[in-house]
Amino acid sequence: MATETASTGAPPPSLTFTRPVFAKLSPHPYLLRTLSPDSPDQQPTRNNGRAPHQSRPIQINTSSLSQAHGSSLVRTGDTTVICGVRGELLPVTSIPQFRPHNGTLYDQDEDDEARARKELKDYDLLVPNIELATGCAPQFLPGVPPTTLAQTLSTRVYSLLHGTGVVDGRELRIWYTPETKKEDGDDMEVEGEEEEEEQKPEVVAYWVLYIDLLFVSFDGNPFDAAWAAVLAALRDTKLPFSRWDPDREMVVCRKGQDRKLSVRGLPVSCSAAVFLEKEHAEVGKEEGNRHWILLDPDRSEEGLCKEVITVVVDCSEGGTRVRGIEKQGGTVVGRELIRGFIGVAEGRWREVKEAMGN
Amino acid sequence: MADRRRINGPPGSTMPPVFEDDAGQPEIKNGKGRDRAPNVIRKMFLKTGVTPSASGSAYLEFAGSSNSGVSGLKLSCTVHGPRSLPRSSPFSPHIVLSAHVKYAPFATKQRRGYLRDPSERDLGTHLETALRGAIIADRWPKSGVDIIISIIEGDQDRETSKSQGDETWDMMNALSGCITVASAALADAGIDCVDTVAGGVAALVEDAGEGSTPRIVVDPIPSDHEKVLGACCIAYLPTRDEVTNLWFKGDLPASDAGLYTQLVENGIQASRNANRVLVECLGEATS
Repeated sequence: MATETASTGAPPPSLTFTRPVFAKLSPHPYLLRTLSPDSPDQQPTRNNGRAPHQSRPIQINTSSLSQAHGSSLVRTGDTTVICGVRGELLPVTSIPQFRPHNGTLYDQDEDDEARARKELKDYDLLVPNIELATGCAPQFLPGVPPTTLAQTLSTRVYSLLHGTGVVDGRELRIWYTPETKKEDGDDMEVEGEEEEEEQKPEVVAYWVLYIDLLFVSFDGNPFDAAWAAVLAALRDTKLPFSRWDPDREMVVCRKGQDRKLSVRGLPVSCSAAVFLEKEHAEVGKEEGNRHWILLDPDRSEEGLCKEVITVVVDCSEGGTRVRGIEKQGGTVVGRELIRGFIGVAEGRWREVKEAMGN
Repeated sequence: MADRRRINGPPGSTMPPVFEDDAGQPEIKNGKGRDRAPNVIRKMFLKTGVTPSASGSAYLEFAGSSNSGVSGLKLSCTVHGPRSLPRSSPFSPHIVLSAHVKYAPFATKQRRGYLRDPSERDLGTHLETALRGAIIADRWPKSGVDIIISIIEGDQDRETSKSQGDETWDMMNALSGCITVASAALADAGIDCVDTVAGGVAALVEDAGEGSTPRIVVDPIPSDHEKVLGACCIAYLPTRDEVTNLWFKGDLPASDAGLYTQLVENGIQASRNANRVLVECLGEATS
């Protein structure tokens, strides 16, 4: 046998390996063994020592970067992600299909909100990108185009940003009221009607928010960490006061008058993976195949589970609102389980809220 | 062509914000200037093991300047390897180094793209040369090691939005930080080196005000000074008294050879100081 040829003093009588070696050699049976203890009074635990429904504690720091308008650093276990939000200006003249806005500055109705949401999407004012190729795990090395995982994550963050409407599009508009040339009081009265028309404020530019995420360390569950980082960075974002300068025909900003971006609600995403007893069971025959739902899976667990569920909940307005459910890769999680899982997500929401502060 | 694998944002070009008081009157330096003695480097923080899934990793942060708005350099480095080279690559009797330096999009005043630009490639080449002299390369034939550095924040002055050609000098500081952090990460990965290599920068600067003469300072912050005349970045192995990489830039009179030697000596001094922090950090990590 291979171990006996190893030159280690006294050869062991039987084939014995340490626990980490077993975990590496045959990860699936090993995880199965730790999840199904021999005696009923033992709690099932995962390889990382957590209970199946236990997530890693989350830690959030904000405003640590000075060049970005808003930034955050999120750590859950060994997954670390940095997010920087930077605002740049997009004058309406460089929007190809710009439709002039017929609302006014003081509109606060539902219509305007819906219009602002459409503007966000049509003019692409939110630009999230996730960079995994920082050597954050051995499979993510730079020098290659973004991996499928990086592309999917970026797209999921993008659609969730638009779907939940956390950013109010009205705050990204920059208004300008053309000045009327007042020379004489008498002239004003004559052309009163026209003057009214001209004074109407118009949107001249938009802020575009570039949301860049950088994974420093990757250990599973990237979406939850990335979304928490996006949210924390947006809540931290302060855009400078800006106005249109008609003489220079550009937007100028003023220092020291930063305006905090308001973020609506606090949608928190919570993911879990489903671990099956039989690794290669036929689809649709899950009866008799035991399963465990592992909350906040790490890198090794993600490799063993096919079915993943992500639920986005928001409890900030009294009751719990489900803002999104995504599920892929299997048929174990049905209606009942999803309903139960939302309860678990509520617990996660409270943890994240506490970590965000205020 | 736009990169279809990323989310690119609006098709029209966006502009970074322009501030009112930038135009017209010339830039006012925020006055204080350098607050350290000419031969003292900034305080730095170094930590190894920030990325558990990599073979070795390190994080380095320089303290900011007393001038508000100047943030310190923040770097994160991961080392993957040594591992076998892919089958397609030719035989190599020693370890193949590949160094990769990338600025984060939010690291500098101008937003950086995701594709590496020439200056980042240049930094990568310099870093590779600096490290090649330190690694005992023939212990790992047919294998490769990847060194990846993300510059999370560059040390630029946020308040001065007008660029004053500081980028070239900023690159010097960035390179010296990269060398130090990569050296720590290599040690964390357990790759044999002849010595710990650290980077140091010395520059000939001219201060604002009448009648000031050019002087040599170590670890310069370009916005602290009126003008930087020349700078050199050195990678130095202290116990062997060897320089593995020397990068000199600037405009100096050719007649004064002593000036060059002085600059290099000051660079070595800065590198020695950085090395002290490096050795202390590695000692703490192993104890």
